[in-house]
Amino acid sequence: MDLTFTAEETALRQQIRSWVAANLPPDISHKVLHALHLTREDHQRWARLLGKQGWLGWGWPTEFGGPGWNAVQRHLFEEECALAGAPRVMPFGPVMVAPVIMAFGTAAQQRRFLPGIASGDVWWSQGYSEPGAGSDLASLKCKAERKGDYYVVNGQKTWTTLGQYGEWIFCLVRTSNEGKPQTGISFLLIDMKTPGVTVRPIVMLDGGHEVNEVWFDDVEVPADQLIGEENKGWTYAKHLLSHERTNIADVNRAKRELERLKRIAKAEGIWDDLRFRDQVALLEVDIVALEMMVLRVLSAETAGKQSLDIAGLLKIRGSEIQQRYSELMMLAGGPFTLPFIQEAMAAGWQGDHVGAAHCAPLASIYFNYRKTTIYGGSNEVQRNIVAQTLLGS
Amino acid sequence: MDFDFTDDQASLRDAVQRWVDKGFAFERRHAIAKAGGRTRDVYRELAELGLTGLAVPADHGGLGFGAVEAMVVMEELGRGLVNAPYGAAALVAPALLAQGDAALQCAWLPRIADGSALVILAQQERGARYRLDAPSTVATQSAGGWALSGQKCLVPAGDEADAFLVPARVGPHAIGPLGLFLVERDRCSVRGYPTQDGARAADLGLAAAPASLVLADASAAIQLGMDVGIAASCAEAVGLMDKLVALTVEYMNTRKQFGVAIASFQALRHRMADVKMQLELARSMSYYASLKLGEPAAQRRRALSQAKVQLGRSMRLVGQECIQLHGGIGVTDDVSVSHYFKRLTMLEMAYGDTLHHLGEVSERMQDSAGVFA
Repeated sequence: MDLTFTAEETALRQQIRSWVAANLPPDISHKVLHALHLTREDHQRWARLLGKQGWLGWGWPTEFGGPGWNAVQRHLFEEECALAGAPRVMPFGPVMVAPVIMAFGTAAQQRRFLPGIASGDVWWSQGYSEPGAGSDLASLKCKAERKGDYYVVNGQKTWTTLGQYGEWIFCLVRTSNEGKPQTGISFLLIDMKTPGVTVRPIVMLDGGHEVNEVWFDDVEVPADQLIGEENKGWTYAKHLLSHERTNIADVNRAKRELERLKRIAKAEGIWDDLRFRDQVALLEVDIVALEMMVLRVLSAETAGKQSLDIAGLLKIRGSEIQQRYSELMMLAGGPFTLPFIQEAMAAGWQGDHVGAAHCAPLASIYFNYRKTTIYGGSNEVQRNIVAQTLLGS
Repeated sequence: MDFDFTDDQASLRDAVQRWVDKGFAFERRHAIAKAGGRTRDVYRELAELGLTGLAVPADHGGLGFGAVEAMVVMEELGRGLVNAPYGAAALVAPALLAQGDAALQCAWLPRIADGSALVILAQQERGARYRLDAPSTVATQSAGGWALSGQKCLVPAGDEADAFLVPARVGPHAIGPLGLFLVERDRCSVRGYPTQDGARAADLGLAAAPASLVLADASAAIQLGMDVGIAASCAEAVGLMDKLVALTVEYMNTRKQFGVAIASFQALRHRMADVKMQLELARSMSYYASLKLGEPAAQRRRALSQAKVQLGRSMRLVGQECIQLHGGIGVTDDVSVSHYFKRLTMLEMAYGDTLHHLGEVSERMQDSAGVFA
């Protein structure tokens, strides 16, 4: 048992750190470190830089042009990016759909789609949830009917994150009503410029436009955009969900945000209030404990052992911690988080702030982060899974 | 990065487990607790297994093992609800002695290693809460040597011990540097009593008690000893919780109400998911505590307090929930779960409670935090 990285791992960390320091545009990291609004162009610029370096698909095996890193090496990359203030890589392409294409797509599909994902040129979106299919995803209804060389898709997806920027979307669609709900689902890749696709914004409680409804009205999708076999989509989706369980804990970002919380608390003069500081201390313990749990899972994965039964806990704890730091930041800002001036949450705003500039986005982030215990399988669903492992069904 | 145990560590775990399975059934513990909590016989059996020499250096007759081996043994003793003072006597005492006077090491470490001597740190004073830096016990030096005056309390297994390691202020009046002294049992008055968790403790009266100086200016050494105690109690707590959770899972799958096993009720299942969360956070932080024991004092101190905060919260939640999930049977003396609960509850107070260590974490926060900060 030992808590050190190998010399090779330390060297890799150093290599990543130097590269990020040299390549991460300062205007972008400034926004990230101050929780200011990131544009589509910001995301794309960083994605393309990573793509050029071969690191946008940092979890990819070498046969598909990835670095072939193991779980610990991937963690080092994620940590270095997060601590330096890099934007979160939009996971839909490189983390979510790419592994499915690699595992279940044809060679032609791999040649067609993977390069655009690896380079960061193509923005992917996710079409899973529907108004009637949230936690019970298998009850989804968005229908795809095979007609000759096409599937004709009708229905609606929702909660599509940054779908307003999307160029392609991977969807779970219903191709059969026979048998169990899970057995009639297929995995389709859809060009969002296809006639009949409509993206409508959903304004969230923080006032932001982060998610969308995506409507499909007689959308013709070439049959060669079906992944794997018809009606096997649920299996592929589960494969997708089995990827990146540790990243979902987001502990690296939590460490960075804890630093920001301390800066805000000091600037707001509440750091010396022991009642407040003890709350930060509790959060610090939470974050260290989560990091240890993440390291345990990573080390087991890297050693090629069956994944520990604690992986399911990571999402619950990580999301609770995200909510907690956003809450403490807002409390540190206190009444100065009250003004709702959206322009003040963008970089370079020249207007008069009410209170310190760092207070402007705090309440909106707190509101926005209520999503973390809901998305990616609500924490209650996660508890069901944890309990099932522990108690049986 | 590796959280596996070596084959030797696994064998060590097996050896303790086998002894617990064969020789320390709940009935035995229950009988010991009812009879007042005397465990010297149990400690002797641990000595026969070779466990008492685990932390004593090889040149003093011990095994010279490290923190991970200590953690393994403590986990298993916790799992078996073994109420002998192993952590205090076999881990904390050698860690303290090893930093002090060479002659005392030669005199006592071999006897600690073979289990013939029970030496216990006696740091607690009335009114001091968890402060270590200003004991009211005073050490004075005369031609005849050192003498200690004052009172210590809540010394684990105190009336079964052979000697005590006693922190005291040096000098009659002034706040001198903190010294660590060894006082043999027959040099002080000892008043023993049973404790809530089925063991014993004692108060010590020191009236110019003859003492040997282990270490002058012993603050840092005592702090290290306390940190060894924290790591030991964290590991014991993990063993306790592991077993308590397993017992609760078993109970929930057996106990039927409304015609079905209570494990089928979602309200209870979610509580168990939260219990599992706290157990695994605790296990993670127990590893962290043991792995950080060898770090420089500042990092070690911060890490050990972080661990104790996590363990304190986990122990409370896991203990309370597992009692609740057992229902009425959980609050009887007949079942082991109530004994696990009581031991967990008392462990929170060992070597500083959650609020105390939260204060330590709070005071020691840096700009950056994390496992490697």
